[in-house]
Amino acid sequence: MKVLVCYKWVLDEADIFVNEQDLSLNFDKAKGKINEYDRNAIELGASLKETVGCELYAATVGKGVKASVNDVLSRGPEKVFYMDSPGLDSLDSSVTARLLAAMIKKIGGIDLVICGEGSSDFYSRQVGPRIAALLGYASLSYAVDVQVNGSEIIVTRKLDDGTEVVKVSSPAVISVLPEINKPRIPSLKQILAAKKKPSTSLALEEIGLTEADLATSLTFGDVAAAIMERKRIRIDEGCQDISEAVAKLIKQLRADRVLN
Amino acid sequence: MNKVWIISDHPETAYELAGKAKTLGTSLTAYVLGDNDVAQRVISFGADVVKLMQLPQTTVWEQYLSVLLQEAGTENPELILVASTCRGKDLAAQLAAKLDCPCVTDSKKLEEKDGKLVLQRIIYGGLAYQDIECNTFPVIVTIAPHTFEKGEPEEKQGEIFNLSLIGEGPIQVVERKAKEAASVNLAEADIVVGVGRGLTQQSGLAMFEELAKLLGGEVGCTRPIAEDLKWLPEERYLGITGKQIKPNLYLCAGVSGQIQHVYGIRESKVIVSINNNENAPIFKVSDYYIVGDLEEVIPALISALK
Repeated sequence: MKVLVCYKWVLDEADIFVNEQDLSLNFDKAKGKINEYDRNAIELGASLKETVGCELYAATVGKGVKASVNDVLSRGPEKVFYMDSPGLDSLDSSVTARLLAAMIKKIGGIDLVICGEGSSDFYSRQVGPRIAALLGYASLSYAVDVQVNGSEIIVTRKLDDGTEVVKVSSPAVISVLPEINKPRIPSLKQILAAKKKPSTSLALEEIGLTEADLATSLTFGDVAAAIMERKRIRIDEGCQDISEAVAKLIKQLRADRVLN
Repeated sequence: MNKVWIISDHPETAYELAGKAKTLGTSLTAYVLGDNDVAQRVISFGADVVKLMQLPQTTVWEQYLSVLLQEAGTENPELILVASTCRGKDLAAQLAAKLDCPCVTDSKKLEEKDGKLVLQRIIYGGLAYQDIECNTFPVIVTIAPHTFEKGEPEEKQGEIFNLSLIGEGPIQVVERKAKEAASVNLAEADIVVGVGRGLTQQSGLAMFEELAKLLGGEVGCTRPIAEDLKWLPEERYLGITGKQIKPNLYLCAGVSGQIQHVYGIRESKVIVSINNNENAPIFKVSDYYIVGDLEEVIPALISALK
């Protein structure tokens, strides 16, 4: 069985800061990382490689994604395919899915595609099901458990009203929820071994697409910080001890009428 | 807009979407999981036609994709609103891919302006928002439950049909298990006491529970407390992938303030936090805070309230 994990190289949201004057976002300190939700997808791929002995590939698209190659390879995949171009910044899910689906077709013979639930930057949760629809694969989303026996795949889905266990013959696209597993942290040995693993850069023409395929009919407006107007008052300032601070807090909350 | 569709596997959300959709389009067809009563209700909230999509016994609800594609081919809806449930989001994304159209997930806004549709999303885990405009149709927009208020039902006539699947598709359902009824509805609580990883011992939960009881509130938590440590049930974790609450008071301790958690508490009227790290990000989104050890502050709060 050939398994391919899709992942997104995102900016670390913990290092995005708000410019208080104009509510714009400052990305200067934000570095790229493998989207946390996709680490669960990679971990599932890595564990399937160990348990059922599949071949495991990874694929990504975006601006600056070449920087992610060693990182992803240290987490289990034998080979990574990527498309890196300045024009691939802030892709809409429709475009991401179109590019990844075309890459998967080009690679050929992929029985199982694994995606994370969504991405930590835009969290649209569309790419897995979109790839499934574009490739004509079954979409198995919100997966919390996956069993593979030959070409049979059994997935437990966690939905709003309960769980659903489903069975399908490959090919399929599984989108996993974070609780499915706990991604391992790569060892030094794996990090060193990653440098020797192959990576393949693909261009738009090589996967049979053109510039026109990068278009979306949505117009994205400015990004503005969702500032919460909060008082930010430190209650224990000038207090002798905790009990004084606590009394002050209770008095304040009663004055604000949020406490009886 | 001419034709608007709504698709929902959750009746309450269907009512909310019908009210909103009615203001945007001249004709409204609702594809809903439910019975005749649900269909009548959707009509009373604005739908002209209701097509019921029952949960198939042997395959997934998303299998209606092929029927919907066929319907879209003849009906040409311009706007398709989908309830942002798990099934809804999966179906919306697949339908968008098949129709080769955009899909905007969890829009907070839905307005028509100069022939364009104006939408808004929360991005970067709750850090920012972004307006999105769309002027080519069709477009699919998913809307989370409770985003829009349900309107007033009206006396109205409409047509009701039962939709059948076209083929079973490759996915077989082996088993379905309903979720156990939630023992708590955090979304309704006036006061929520939050606990995070700053709590090092599970036994310490007792004091959070005591505090919540004293305040007449409920205990909520961060994701790791529920998902990793399993100290509290999942229904109690707050955040972008958990519960989003709107209490009068959210008082938390040992919560660092990761944006994913803050997303779930941002609509609280007053936020109070206790953390021993004076640079904890949670302080930036708090009205009041105490820099201190939760093992000292929580018991002090309990005895002061007693």
